[in-house]
Amino acid sequence: MKLQHLLTKDSKTEFYYEVLELIAGLFLVVFLTLHILFVSTIILGPDVFDALAQGMDAYHLGTIFKSLVIVAFFAHFIVAGRRIPTRVREQGIVWRHAKLLRHPNTWAWVFQVITGMAILVLGAIHIWVVFTNSPTGAMGSAMRVQAGYLWFYIALIPLSFYHAGVGLYRQFVKWGWFPRKPVGYIIIVITLTIIAIGSVALWAFMQLEVS
Amino acid sequence: MSNRTLTFNIFRFDPYRPEVAPYMQSFSVEELDGMTVFVALNKIRETEDTAIKFDFVCRASICGSCAMLINGRPQLACKTLTRNLPKKITLMPLPVFKLIGDLSVDTGAWFRHLSLKTKSWIHTDKAFDPQVLEERMDNQTALDIYEAERCIECGCCIASCATANIMEDFWGAAGINRVARFMIDPRDGRSGKEYFEVIGSEQGAFGCMGLMACDDLCPMELPLQMQLAFVRRKMLGLGFKV
Ligand code: SF4
Ligand code: SF4
Ligand code: FES
Repeated sequence: MKLQHLLTKDSKTEFYYEVLELIAGLFLVVFLTLHILFVSTIILGPDVFDALAQGMDAYHLGTIFKSLVIVAFFAHFIVAGRRIPTRVREQGIVWRHAKLLRHPNTWAWVFQVITGMAILVLGAIHIWVVFTNSPTGAMGSAMRVQAGYLWFYIALIPLSFYHAGVGLYRQFVKWGWFPRKPVGYIIIVITLTIIAIGSVALWAFMQLEVS
Repeated sequence: MSNRTLTFNIFRFDPYRPEVAPYMQSFSVEELDGMTVFVALNKIRETEDTAIKFDFVCRASICGSCAMLINGRPQLACKTLTRNLPKKITLMPLPVFKLIGDLSVDTGAWFRHLSLKTKSWIHTDKAFDPQVLEERMDNQTALDIYEAERCIECGCCIASCATANIMEDFWGAAGINRVARFMIDPRDGRSGKEYFEVIGSEQGAFGCMGLMACDDLCPMELPLQMQLAFVRRKMLGLGFKV
């Protein structure tokens, strides 16, 4: 036992971090999925999209969700980020380890860390852009996509859903609520479907005539 | 069976001669029917280099001492048949554990430390009376305990765990499995609070990131995912109470 370990021994903190990691992670996955499904109403037409956006604003759902998301986004970064190998030596070990082991789940995690870093930047930009352009409307969004944000979203959508899919899978695995292999397959199918829907939505935004 | 000539690339290093940098040395071995990596290693030691270091005792996947990285993955040398491997075989010692030399590592000290840290013995206040019959345990509990006890302490789960590779004091699947074994034992009198103190920490249940390399690579095929999840869920319940 070392002095620092003795004095900072408070296993409750670790415990609360773990619970927070679970809650914030699950919340973000649910939010992300609803978010892309709502945005994808553009496939049904700009009127449906606008009606939904206005409906949400009428009940201040947009604002409530947005504030929660910002909190969850950064809480998740802090609690889940505590596992990221940050030291050069650790990164070297993990990289060598993953290459030696050729183990799919370990690679999935390595890429999850990398996508997480990318999402931290891209997601923050996305949140900023959307918040400074409220209220949300089909025309405004279409204009943004057509003005060059297309590539931004082509990157952000698969990155975030890959990250979310692996995260969800690992939470299920860690808590052991369901058998591992079926959960993995189901999550892969759902993730691919969502990415496909998101791509169609992007295409729909590109097709809109913006005045 | 057409016998192949196998090429073994073996990691060589002697910690007592640190001036000689680690290197890979290659040996050719004629494959025999039913040959294991362990048999091949003995052949190399007999015919090529008597100084090469590697561990074995039982050669029957019981003692757990022959674990090493075979083509990068932790496996038991005595259980791995060469016919399931390509012609080129790379052997390295397990990571995480202290390197004794070449393919030999000290898993013993690591597991002894683990036993002390997790206090792996039955804690009870009952005085032992040799005259009285032992209390009966229901069969399922006995089987569950036995399932966890099948661990041979080979260290494959520790070596394959990314967390254990970067966090020196993480107990890994073997450690958490060990605690699970005592948690289900009705003879163990430890309270929830005591267990939480033992394993409700980053070194224990919460350090695991759910990468499942342990579950995929344990040569005894222990249900490690379920053991890890069992302890984690127990800790969730206890964490709010204690
Ligand atoms: S749990 Fe499996 S891999 Fe880990 S030490 Fe025990 S037998 Fe080896
Ligand atoms: S599941 Fe947990 S204990 Fe097993 S290899 Fe992964 S991080 Fe390590
Ligand atoms: S020599 Fe005992 S497990 Fe391989």
